[in-house]
Amino acid sequence: MIATSIKWTRHNLFGKPFDVVLSLLVIPGVLWLAYSITDWAFVSAKWGIIVQSLRVLMIGVFPADQAWRAWTASAIIGAILGAGLGCVFSFKPHHGLVLLLVPVLLLIVHGGLGNALPATGTVASTILGWALTSYVPLSRKVLPAAAFTGFIVIVAIMAPPGVGLWGGLLLSVLLTLVTSVLSLPIGILLAFGRQSRLSSLRIICTWYIEVMRSVPLILVVYWIWILMPVLAPQWGLADVARGMIGFTIFYSAYVAEYVRSGLQAVPRAQTEAARSLGMSEFDINRSIVLPQALRVVVAPLVGNVLDIFNSAPLVFIIGLTDFLRAGQMILANPQYGDRTFEVLSFLLATYFVIGSMITYAARKLEDHMATGTR
Amino acid sequence: MSAIVEMKSMNKFYGTHHVLKDIDLAVTRGEVMVILGASGSGKSTLIRCVNGLEMYQHGSLVVDGFEMPVEADRRLGGERELAQIRKGVGMVFQQFGLFPHKTVLDNITIAPMRVRKKTREEAEATAMKLLDRVGLRAHAHKYPGQLSGGQQQRVAIARSLAMEPHLMLFDEPTSALDPEMVGEVLDVMRELASSGMTMMVVTHEMGFAREVADRVVYIDQGSILEIGQPDEFFDNPKNDRARSFLARVLKH
Ligand SMILES: Nc1ncnc2c1ncn2[C@@H]1O[C@H](COP(=O)(O)OP(=O)(O)OP(=O)(O)O)[C@@H](O)[C@H]1O
Ligand SMILES: [Mg+2]
Repeated sequence: MIATSIKWTRHNLFGKPFDVVLSLLVIPGVLWLAYSITDWAFVSAKWGIIVQSLRVLMIGVFPADQAWRAWTASAIIGAILGAGLGCVFSFKPHHGLVLLLVPVLLLIVHGGLGNALPATGTVASTILGWALTSYVPLSRKVLPAAAFTGFIVIVAIMAPPGVGLWGGLLLSVLLTLVTSVLSLPIGILLAFGRQSRLSSLRIICTWYIEVMRSVPLILVVYWIWILMPVLAPQWGLADVARGMIGFTIFYSAYVAEYVRSGLQAVPRAQTEAARSLGMSEFDINRSIVLPQALRVVVAPLVGNVLDIFNSAPLVFIIGLTDFLRAGQMILANPQYGDRTFEVLSFLLATYFVIGSMITYAARKLEDHMATGTR
Repeated sequence: MSAIVEMKSMNKFYGTHHVLKDIDLAVTRGEVMVILGASGSGKSTLIRCVNGLEMYQHGSLVVDGFEMPVEADRRLGGERELAQIRKGVGMVFQQFGLFPHKTVLDNITIAPMRVRKKTREEAEATAMKLLDRVGLRAHAHKYPGQLSGGQQQRVAIARSLAMEPHLMLFDEPTSALDPEMVGEVLDVMRELASSGMTMMVVTHEMGFAREVADRVVYIDQGSILEIGQPDEFFDNPKNDRARSFLARVLKH
């Protein structure tokens, strides 16, 4: 064992003179970096600030005495996401253990139940939803309706203190969910429109997609924010809603392009076979072409969700306080001015963890889609 | 003796390429017509016109009592006749064309349910009978990718039959198959022919053509050069090019 690893080291790290030099420089460098990071994280860093500002990071400036509303919403989102996962891959105890790390960590760092309760609730409802759809297949049938109801409840429960107060990680997640869910059907319609036999429709869809793909997201969001009150003053749409509309308008174009590449991957023979069975063009597109097209583009579509989540901080342009902005707000407090690294590290770690979870789910989704066909 | 397909000086172009030239052809009900010809002669194009997968530009084509609109009219939306025609005409392709994301059973039931508005129970009962007929009942819940080529082609035939067609088109149904699977598909087609189904078959299986066909049509460069009884055609072709074609294919 040791002999082989010495051999491996000799061969790979000290094989050629250049490797030797590189290894002599890089290995100590990496070790030193690892040491300083660990030393900082466990000795010098004052993580207390994260615990103290956890509420602001999670739900922004939502009033503290109304926070239960936001925590309930988080729990509902957790249940919906968990139930969604359960349709794709079965819940296993080790998934639960990983998720439970979050509240456990909070308990250890904070030492009190108060701050850990919301996280515990969210994690618990995620696990419940996940286990439900994993082990009760019948529940998958009602999931779309349940998720829709859940979303209405979230809006109803969080609205009273004022929609303008939504913020933090909760806002980022809500924005990502709403944008992802809405941009999928719109993107699909655009993709079909771009291939339509009606040239006017085709030109409009092509233009829409090309324009959106050549301008920055932040500009689209800003424009929509300014334009909505002009175009539809009677609606009196809140900033949050306008932001979601801007994101959806922008990302639908990207979804359309992914879906279009999927549509092109479906062999012509499939359409011809369906036509010769007498199926209508609508039925062919809906039941034969689209399912096969989506199957091909699952990975880029989930990548798009990740993209949306990582772009959410741009809503600062219309005055919203997302997760990243909440972190900045904390640092703006002179009292906490010297905790930049702690806060930024926490943001980075959270983005990384959530991003990894989305990627992990995407891989499972791909496996799930692949079974049965071949 | 009514014709189910009637082509009168039918012409088809791909751009400027004249692919079908003044085709006059009538297929009677119950007849098995085999279409022969070299590669690129226009065999596929000819039968694909019959269910409207290809559009023709001049002449006329009547299928099952409906006039197939010419290209200019189809662009103007004359698609109602097309839908009517396709309901009554089945087609089997060289590459099977099964839907890979649906089970064998769903492949067979989707069109009867969507197009003929049958209930799932009705459609599934018919599908199981047809799977029995092609010897694949046990595979109803598999996906196409789990079947051999010969099995897939038999499912494709069952899928077409589920629409209760009056006419079946076959475009080289055995050309993509391994030799040992050709027989099982030809058996199904033979059984279908003897049940009285009207069939237009493009094939390179000369033995099958000779045995099953009522008439053989020979096409070359988009024109029909010879039509006749199979024995007559194979033993004593009148056309020179038909003769050299036969000499080439029968050598193998
Ligand atoms: N989509 C198309 N666009 C342009 N030309 C085409 C197209 N499809 C076929 N052709 C041409 O039309 C002619 C007839 O083709 P067709 O496929 O009907 O021949 P075939 O007799 O079926 O040949 P094979 O035995 O190879 O299948 C050929 O010259 C071919 O190159
Ligand atoms: Mg052909």
